[in-house]
Amino acid sequence: MNGPAGPDATRTLVSGAALRRHFGGITATDGVDFSVVEGDLIGLIGPNGSGKTTLINMLTGHLNPDAGDVLVRGRRMTGRPPHEFASLGVARTFQLTQLFGRMTVLENMLVPGLTRPRSNRESAARQARHYLTFLNLIHLEGLDAKNLSGGQQKLLELGRALMLEPSVLFLDEPFAGVHPKLRDELIRRIEELHASGRTFVVVDHDMESILRVARRLVVMARGRKIADGPPAAVRADQTVLAAYSGL
Amino acid sequence: MRGLPAAVLAALAVLALVFVRGLNDYWIHVAIIAMFYGILTSSWSLLAGYAGLFSLGHMAFASIGAYTSALLIQWYHIPIPLGMVAGIALCCLLGAWIGWVCLRMSGPYLAIFTLAFSEIVRITFSTEDEVTAGMAGLHTVTLFSTQASRLPFFYLAFALLAGSLALIGLIVHSRWGLFLRAIREDEQAAAASGVAVARFRILAFAVASGFAALAGTFYAHYIGILTPSLGSLDLMAVVVVMTVIGGMERIPTAVGGAFAVEFLQEYLRAYGEWRLVIFGLILLLTMRFARNGLITPLWLQLVRFGEPRRVSAGAPTAPREAGQEGSGG
Repeated sequence: MNGPAGPDATRTLVSGAALRRHFGGITATDGVDFSVVEGDLIGLIGPNGSGKTTLINMLTGHLNPDAGDVLVRGRRMTGRPPHEFASLGVARTFQLTQLFGRMTVLENMLVPGLTRPRSNRESAARQARHYLTFLNLIHLEGLDAKNLSGGQQKLLELGRALMLEPSVLFLDEPFAGVHPKLRDELIRRIEELHASGRTFVVVDHDMESILRVARRLVVMARGRKIADGPPAAVRADQTVLAAYSGL
Repeated sequence: MRGLPAAVLAALAVLALVFVRGLNDYWIHVAIIAMFYGILTSSWSLLAGYAGLFSLGHMAFASIGAYTSALLIQWYHIPIPLGMVAGIALCCLLGAWIGWVCLRMSGPYLAIFTLAFSEIVRITFSTEDEVTAGMAGLHTVTLFSTQASRLPFFYLAFALLAGSLALIGLIVHSRWGLFLRAIREDEQAAAASGVAVARFRILAFAVASGFAALAGTFYAHYIGILTPSLGSLDLMAVVVVMTVIGGMERIPTAVGGAFAVEFLQEYLRAYGEWRLVIFGLILLLTMRFARNGLITPLWLQLVRFGEPRRVSAGAPTAPREAGQEGSGG
């Protein structure tokens, strides 16, 4: 079941070809092919240390691959800095939430908003308040980001990524440590955004949450992609079950 | 910054310009040196407070700017303002280069790197005494005659400080200021948000170094003699102490720190070396009880006092303790 089911090259937003990355003597990813097609809602799962975060770090410019290539809308981006990925509509959140702690919620949103060409403070603030309302954070706009709860921080990080008006969002463990009620809200927001045309890659350990949102499931183990396809088919795959149960 | 804080600063500036004529030469000199430090602390605040780049090379740039201007004037007899501009331009370029070299450094690594750079510059100026006259001091041309009155220097220092604050204020209130603070908070997240981190770090170094050079060149053509100790770590420590005691994350508080420490230093001169112990204690207490600086709470009170009262509209909008959009300076 390896390899995506024939992604349409013209609609491919981000792709990685034979991505390989070592850390010391450890191979984090070993020749992984991965492509995100417009409209995808991919769940990227795998045991700890399987190379999920390394893979999305390479696909968003935060890590240079030792070998292989990264392409955004067909343009070779290997070795380019992360802000260039962001300017091409590739947004991401982090495994451990990374906000601008001593800046207000609104300022956190304004930073990406103002990096966009021809943006100004008024239009960026208007757009920020639109997303803060959508994420139910508008009443906290004047608060320092460090003072938000864990779940609210996850929502703000999603909001900050949305400010780039991205074509694809990589969410790294968005459900980790989030209260079930807020997790449901997060899932609802992701589904709404996907329905409105956004493309997502969601990395998480929380199989239940991933299966609730994913339309396509990619499974990694020991630095390799071991499955890629519709969730129902992947779930039935014995290799996946073995990898996921640590066998 | 607008409304009441701006009005208070303008009133203080007018008072200074009106009452300076009543001061004797000694206190006018103290005020001039306070303004020299004001340019240094405000620009160091841009670098260390806003961008989070804790550089200890700021006085080295002041020194390089000063020697560049003084030597160019001595060798080529160019006008003083042209020498000053040359010193500033060189330091902007050199600052950008140091910023580029230090791109992957932060915290203690950056501090140690810039400390080493600073010492290299000081020792070079000290050793190359055939060019710089070393510790004997390089005689420089002064901007005005020092025989009559120091008032022209006061007005010039005032104009340079006001101009520097206006420019630095523009930067910190623009999107650049927002990006620098984002870089200070989290470089990786700033990059993911589309901020060209490397470009803005280099820019912060270049701009701050240019202002340090402005202060250094003014000093060179005010005092009339230049020694390598302008770039010493002692003076760098003074700039750090002033900025930290005032409050390093806001430009007005950093400048307030320069004025408070410089005037207090002169006022306590009778206590000899003990005044330095007093400053050490003030610094310890600041770090323990008021990490945002001693002037910051007063400044924030002023900012809050000047804000129009909001009518509560249901959901509480939490008041922001610091750095509300656009209030950073």
